[in-house]
Amino acid sequence: MSPASLFAAVVPVCCGLLGAVLSNLPVSLAGGVVPPPVLALMPVYFWALVRPDLMPVAAAFAIGLCQDLLSGSPPGFWTASFVATYALLDRNRDSFAGLAGIGAILGFALAALVAAAVTYLIAWFYFWHRPPLAPMVLQLVASVLCYVPALPVLNWIQRNIVGALRTEF
Amino acid sequence: MSRSRTSGRVPLLVAGLLAILLILAGKAHFVPFERARASLTDRSGAILKALDAPAEAAGRWLGGIGHFFDVYSENQRLREENARLLQWRGAAVALQDRVKHYQLLLKTVPEPSSAAVTAQVIGRSSQPFLETLVLNAGRRNGVKPGEAVVDARGMLGRIYVVGDHTSWVILLTDLNSRIPVTVRPGGVQAILSGGNTNTPLLDALPQNAKMKDGQDVVTSGDGGLLPAGLPVGVLTLQEHYPRVRLYADAQTADEVRILDFQSPAEPMPKPSDKVLPVPDKLTPPPPPETAARPAPIIIPSAQPSPTQTVQGTAPKPRHAASITRPENTPSQQAAPSAEQQPAEPPPPAPDQTDDQDNNQ
Repeated sequence: MSPASLFAAVVPVCCGLLGAVLSNLPVSLAGGVVPPPVLALMPVYFWALVRPDLMPVAAAFAIGLCQDLLSGSPPGFWTASFVATYALLDRNRDSFAGLAGIGAILGFALAALVAAAVTYLIAWFYFWHRPPLAPMVLQLVASVLCYVPALPVLNWIQRNIVGALRTEF
Repeated sequence: MSRSRTSGRVPLLVAGLLAILLILAGKAHFVPFERARASLTDRSGAILKALDAPAEAAGRWLGGIGHFFDVYSENQRLREENARLLQWRGAAVALQDRVKHYQLLLKTVPEPSSAAVTAQVIGRSSQPFLETLVLNAGRRNGVKPGEAVVDARGMLGRIYVVGDHTSWVILLTDLNSRIPVTVRPGGVQAILSGGNTNTPLLDALPQNAKMKDGQDVVTSGDGGLLPAGLPVGVLTLQEHYPRVRLYADAQTADEVRILDFQSPAEPMPKPSDKVLPVPDKLTPPPPPETAARPAPIIIPSAQPSPTQTVQGTAPKPRHAASITRPENTPSQQAAPSAEQQPAEPPPPAPDQTDDQDNNQ
């Protein structure tokens, strides 16, 4: 494997890790009112559909673990959530990959909803009392809204760095 | 085909199982994960601080735009407030002197000592299930898990992860935060439970507890983990639920203090006849040898210190151990006859001292 292709191969995972770092920066643009978007889920969603060979479930696991470490949440919350979302994408890859435009945004919204629901349920059982729903909904909305400008960026990286070819599923 | 599909799902199943194991390990307080988190925060501490500085500056600048237009009126208001506070300061100093004098006269048990480390907030995290701060002080500065973190206004939270140079604070508003508090006046004991809302809930209240809006909520010090009397907030009743509006504001807190509270271990109470419930009928006065010690509930009611008030109002024998007067004090050696003691109002120490002088 040439250095260029090796670099291209690690870009999706690096984007996921970068998303985890960015979404857990100690800077709150909304003054702490709106939780930060789950930026790490965007590369996972995108490349799990476009290049699943470069975004295997182990990568999703690692990115989720990084999100757990940086966010301060109990271990496994986002890891399990990312793995569950990956499982959804894995089972319905063709349906999700065929979406374009608004459909692609809605597809991500569905994936983010699954991730949020899994995290919420885990938190419910973990803390043994129902967590407030509003912060989770706000984070979901923030994530979906942020995916709109993030999608062209991911597309650009895919076209210019990673490579447009889809491997066989 | 089905074989390859099954083999493709194996990594998914393994990852799912590992994630579940990770959650269970977290529930069992998996130490390596916390260490990894602390180490990561330590390494990124400088970056966090560098990132926080411009963000804080930008936030202050943006916030300052709105204040620019009402500088004059704000200045006038601050002048008046300053004049009022100066008057209050004089009163507070006089009252403090008086309290010290009374404590000296009553031979009050000294409050446990507490040292403090001042730290800067270098990170704020507001996740759906977690509200934390990251501070730039860690184990090397003597910070330990469980210590209280306060700002100039009141208590912010507790330390829960400590690295070498950084530490994480779990805020009082966090879903996992539980601290014992007292509602004053009245001394109602409760547990302050965070719920990721701005106003934490007062939980585990005693039955028929009478409270009203605007009462002070302070830490009770029960359990010996937190110092007693730290200001927490103001009681507010929202939809029939007692909630607390916190004094401290985690969003604006910049420099905080981490209190190193060293509380002596609470001794287990020894059951005796004195702590058994009093029978319904009137009992004769106790014999002199059993009445040599004063009843524990009487003395602290005259003490103005918040700590002592909380301890004194709680009718538990374990508190009595910390507030009863030592047996070898001169006031007890020359105390009047045991028959007189229970019937009398709280015996002030100066009178007893006078009695002692008269006897001599």
